[in-house]
Formats: sequence, structure tokens, C-alpha cells
Amino acid sequence: MRLNEDPAALEAFYRRHVDAVMRFVVRRVSDPHLAADLTADVFLAAMDSAHTYRPGRGSEIAWLYGVARNVMAAQQRKAIREVRVTSRISGRRLMDDDDLGRMEERIDAERQMRGALEAMRELPEGERAVLELVAVDQLTVAEAAEALGIRQVTARVRLHRARRALGDVVSPQAVYVRGQA
Amino acid sequence: MSNFEERLLSALKEDVARTAREGMVAATPLRRGSRRRAVGLAAALTGVAAAATVAVTLFSGVSSPAFAVTRTADGSVDVRIKEFRDPGELETKLAEEGIKAQVEYLPGDQTCEEPRNGRSQDGRAGEPMESKIGSDGGGISFQLKPGQITAGETLVLRVSFDHARPDQPPTATSLRVVEGEVEPCTAVPLPEPDAPQPAGPEPTGPVTTEKFDTDGTGKDEAPSLNSHSG
Repeated sequence: MRLNEDPAALEAFYRRHVDAVMRFVVRRVSDPHLAADLTADVFLAAMDSAHTYRPGRGSEIAWLYGVARNVMAAQQRKAIREVRVTSRISGRRLMDDDDLGRMEERIDAERQMRGALEAMRELPEGERAVLELVAVDQLTVAEAAEALGIRQVTARVRLHRARRALGDVVSPQAVYVRGQA
Repeated sequence: MSNFEERLLSALKEDVARTAREGMVAATPLRRGSRRRAVGLAAALTGVAAAATVAVTLFSGVSSPAFAVTRTADGSVDVRIKEFRDPGELETKLAEEGIKAQVEYLPGDQTCEEPRNGRSQDGRAGEPMESKIGSDGGGISFQLKPGQITAGETLVLRVSFDHARPDQPPTATSLRVVEGEVEPCTAVPLPEPDAPQPAGPEPTGPVTTEKFDTDGTGKDEAPSLNSHSG
């Protein structure tokens, strides 16, 4: 992909995925300003690493979610140290009051998924990563494997373990209910 | 789409345009990813962003929980990592010793995108790169000599290991010193064993990535690692 060279390619890519990226982000943060920043950061990271995308190896969204996961992980580490990395684009500055309201609606809509993620927090990282992408972000197991850069068989094993650890959970709703118990 | 989405798209397109402009000017501030070629050219022309070398001795047989950072009598800092967890705490501990560090613990089949920051072709004079990584027990250790990492430089440690089997040796370890701002890690799959190195001019900074000798533990999935740059 030539996202970082070709504005038309970037625009097409952006329009295909901006909604999915925003949903991905608001499942993980509940601050609308931060969500805007992170949405911008995910696309910047995707542009910077577009050359790592290999069309034959998996879906675009799987690759993009892999990038998004890294952005979120980096943000969380920075948050612990109370350092906000200066990004090339400040997402929050692009929002007006209407946008803020819409972002808050998005955040509300994903409340249940944030609960599901919370319920998974105690799982080992490798297993949790697969379950997150499959149960919460609705990727297939193959796509989750692609996003995480692991083999499909590894992803299946981890998914199986994660579900067993959570008590044979089969749907995000069940994860959520269990998390509330 | 709402206004935010449209504005963000415009901002991203401006970023693309800016990148394109900067790409034609060799002496641009160094950034990562797609700017590799520009980075190589810039480094060759101007020698900016000198990445220091670091003489490290990595050995095995560590015994402390998670990690230990100790300053020895001669002012060196010994770092022993037994378990690859709590990277933030390790960074904090190193900061207390005056060493700015960025520690990344990645899944066993991933590494950070290269280059994460600009590097020059030359290390600091008189400080040859020396790096050895051993296996046995899954931990790593290294020693930082006084003055090896100066103000404005960051120690960048990346360890790739199978999170489901943290007791196994890492599949890849990389340790280096980077001058200036270090950008966040963008994880990418580890290179395939026989993957050709990317063509084109690349800065040959002191990047060391070596495979652990797994002592016949049958990690045939582990990509082969090599000392490479770029």
C-alpha cells in the first residue's frame, strides 16, 4: 500500500476503516478527547507502517487492528508515566461540540464491550489478545492471528484456553455477564 | 461522515503531502517507517543523529525476580532481567540510575519496525559494538559502562518471546542506544528465516539482533536472527 505517498489511496483506506477504528478505540478508552487523539494516532501509525502490509497474508482490517493494538499499548504505557506523546496530529483539536457529543455516544454504545474487556483482564496476555480480537472486535480467528502476527493454530489454541479460563464463554455477552457476576 | 472524521482525513492528507515534500529534501528530521530511504540518505549526507554504540555483555544465570538494576563500584550499571514483564518498572528503575530507557516486550513472532529512529553509519569513536546474547534459563543480563549512555540518548531494549511460554528463551533480543526522541514501537512480524534484506541504501547503525541458542529446545518456528541494520 502507498498510504503515505498517495493521498487518494489514503482517502479510500481511511473511508473504509475510520468507523471500525473509532469503534476499536472507544471500546478501550472512555475519554472522548483521548479517543479522538488515538484515532488520529492509529491512522498515522498505519501510514508509517503501510509497507508492512502484505495483501496476500490477510485482511486489511486485521492488519490495521494489529497496528491499533500497538498504538493502544503504547498509549497505556505512556499513561502510566503520565506522559502524553506529542503526535503529529492532535485528534482532540479537530473536534467541535457536535463531534464531542457524537464521540460520547460512540463511547456509550460500546460500554458493554468495555465491560467484556474488563472481564478478560486477568487472562494471560497472549490468550487475552486473541479473545479480544475475536469476541470483542469481531475478527475471525484467522484475522486475529494475522493482527497478532501469530500462526492460526496458535491463535486457536490460545482462544480455546482463554474461553476455558473464562468458563466456556461463547459470546461477548456471556463474557460481559460473567464479568459482572 | 461527521466533521471530525472529515477534518482528520484532511489532516492526514496534509501529513502525506508534508512527508512527500520532506522526502525530497535529504536533511530532514529523521522519522520512522516509510522514510527509510530518506533517512539513509540524510544520515549519509549529514551524519545526523549519531547512534552511539554500547558495549554489552549478555550472560545467563540470573536469579532475581523479574529484574534487578544495580550500580557497581566502578559506576557501571548491571541489568539482569529474569522475567520479561513490568517493562515500565524497569524503565523507571533505569531512570533512577540516570538512564533513559525504552523497553518493549513483544510476542515471540513480532519485532518493532525498523528504524524506530534515525541512526548514522558510525558509532561513537572508540566504542566498538560488542554484544553477546546467551540462553539458558530465559533471562538476559548486560552491563552499561559509565558514560555509555549520555543525556539525550535512550537505551532501547526489545525482547520478543512467546507470552504463553515465558520460561522459554526469547526468540529475539535487540539492544541499542538511540540519540534523540524514540518513537513508539510499531510491531511487525519477525523476518522469515531466509527473507532477503530490503534493498537500497540503509544506514548501518549498531543494531544487534541475535538468536538465542535454544540448546535443542526445538524452536524450529523461531525466525533466524542476524546482526542487521535498517
